[in-house]
Amino acid sequence: MKAAAFDYVRPASVAEACALLAEDADSKVMAGGQSLGPMLNLRLARPARLIDITRIPELGRVEESADAVTLGAVVTHAAIEDRRVADPTHGFLSRVARGIAYRAVRSRGTIGGSLAHADPAADWVSSLTALGAEVLITRADGTQRRLPVEDFIQGALASALEPGEILDGVRIPRFSAEARFGFEKICRKTGEFAEAMGVAVHDPARGVCRIVAGAAGGRPVVIEASRGAGARLLERFADAAAVHDMLTEAGLAGDAYRMRLHVAAVRRAVEEIRR
Amino acid sequence: MTTVTIEVNGKAVTAEVTPRTHLADFLREQLLLTGTHVGCEHGVCGACTVEIDGEIARSCITFAVACDGATVRTIEGFDDDPLMARLRDAFSTSHALQCGYCTPGQLVAARDLIRRKSIEPDLDIRTEMSGNLCRCTGYAGIVAAIETVAAEQPAVPALARDRWAGPAPGPGAATAAPVKPAAPAAAPKVTAPRPAAPKPAAPKPAAPKPAAPSAPSRPVEVEVGPVTVEAGETRFTQTFVLEHPGDAVWALMRDPEQVAACMPGLALDPPGEDGRLTGRMEVKLGPIAAGFSGEGTMRRDDAARRMAIEGRGSDRRSGSRASGRVDYTLADTTADTGAAATRVDCVIAFTLQGPLAQFGRSDLVRDLVGRIGAAFATNVDVRLRAPDGATVAPAELGGASLLLGVLFGRIRRAVMRMLGRGS
Repeated sequence: MKAAAFDYVRPASVAEACALLAEDADSKVMAGGQSLGPMLNLRLARPARLIDITRIPELGRVEESADAVTLGAVVTHAAIEDRRVADPTHGFLSRVARGIAYRAVRSRGTIGGSLAHADPAADWVSSLTALGAEVLITRADGTQRRLPVEDFIQGALASALEPGEILDGVRIPRFSAEARFGFEKICRKTGEFAEAMGVAVHDPARGVCRIVAGAAGGRPVVIEASRGAGARLLERFADAAAVHDMLTEAGLAGDAYRMRLHVAAVRRAVEEIRR
Repeated sequence: MTTVTIEVNGKAVTAEVTPRTHLADFLREQLLLTGTHVGCEHGVCGACTVEIDGEIARSCITFAVACDGATVRTIEGFDDDPLMARLRDAFSTSHALQCGYCTPGQLVAARDLIRRKSIEPDLDIRTEMSGNLCRCTGYAGIVAAIETVAAEQPAVPALARDRWAGPAPGPGAATAAPVKPAAPAAAPKVTAPRPAAPKPAAPKPAAPKPAAPSAPSRPVEVEVGPVTVEAGETRFTQTFVLEHPGDAVWALMRDPEQVAACMPGLALDPPGEDGRLTGRMEVKLGPIAAGFSGEGTMRRDDAARRMAIEGRGSDRRSGSRASGRVDYTLADTTADTGAAATRVDCVIAFTLQGPLAQFGRSDLVRDLVGRIGAAFATNVDVRLRAPDGATVAPAELGGASLLLGVLFGRIRRAVMRMLGRGS
């Protein structure tokens, strides 16, 4: 199908984009448009106006600091896949990016757009939650705030973005050289929406050990060890029944088949870092 | 209409486009470059793959207006490209096409794969090419053709690594005309791209309309049971405890008007004589907004404190239809504080038909229905604590507009912390 008619504006700065967004509640921000485009074509979404933010220079930024790397919202999956931007995870970001949809989608799909869209099956939603990344948000009045990804994602296609706010970047903490990462995605066909996703991150030097079960229809489920308890938490994933109980207790719901997929995905992710 | 200038296959083209025209339609219908094929038209099949500033992209989900200032190369633009010539031969030799519909997309994607990865020792062609569907060949010929050309280690063109990291063409592109709002709204200038120190989220404005509840809202924890899907019907249970005695809760929950007032997005018409309920339910799922108009019936059992509500409706805009049942029973219990409390056990079942169902993401709808339930429970609690006569604004649901979004997000935050005992 063809999209319903909409107006199109292309602001040159975040402030201008916020002002445009604030003046019309029926406006929708578009970055790469790789999730919104299909919804527009299927006429599931019919905004009156699209605000194209891909020409805003600061949204393509890459900022490095001692403890983190900040990527602008419109940095594409392909740029991350090709390691054209700094990667504080020693290649894990690149690996996640490589598995997103298909190359022709990754070349336009963006990290910020993916988070703002808040599709539970999106790779960044689960993996950036596991990495403890934060989203940077600019408000309509020009002030800024930031929020952990896990708090930003509030449910299926629901984020903490308030009217007039724009997600302008993602701050990803630096991991030590000994950090280990596991990632497992279960889909019926390569590149399609995931049915289950497991992410495991263990960085003893930083005292971080987080396991995430994603693509469960709602917000990702996080299981986290307090400092020093990482290895012990990882051991508990050897037992599938125990993992099932942990995920259920953490709030994951689904029928028996879906629960098996989630258990398998997180166990494979953990297995990868225990090897 | 908007004027764009796009370099297509080496030639600058300035044209008028409507914003909703996607690049594939622009190429085919305005420039008559019909080599780019349109298959699924929602980014799944790959038939429309073209290059934009040297990177392959889906031209069916890229709007022509967004390509203003970009360089586009379609299958027609590869006539003199040596690598593409080699691929064309290999496709012929390996019988990599039958009907030819997917072939332009296959060739453009295959050339890009070889450009990026022909030197990789364990190139997984099947996975890499999985974004291009073929319904004739069974892929064997396509994979063989690409394998042959990749093995020859052809010379490949390189793109600058320090190019714009966002979607092409980016801020530097020479566009036909700046697309700007007529009167740019005055907005405070953002000088520093770095964020300020984290601040607590601003309090959410209460929903407008009727008098705000005088009792502050507190989130009610809602337990969601296992989900089953049978014959298209999704069913699950929700249980929550309200810290109010059973009589008070039932007095509210036996009254459809009061129940409707607590339901986010639901507006009920005045009750009819035959007990039928009619009304309208607005739901918002990300960028998807639907308004279901419909009718329902209820059955009430005062002795058992049980209510069964059934409803069905359709969304005129999308043509989607929905039907659902909510069955709830109240039971007396005791709160942690020792006070009298009421447990509400709900069985929720719904079916969705039409475009919204074809979207095929029933798990997302289930999450939405779950969030509506949680917001409902919170609203019932607020209403029960509000003094007599105080009305509560019905909450809107959907992303940030969810009345108690932040608060309730905290409590449902599904984080389990493992305590590090003695490690």
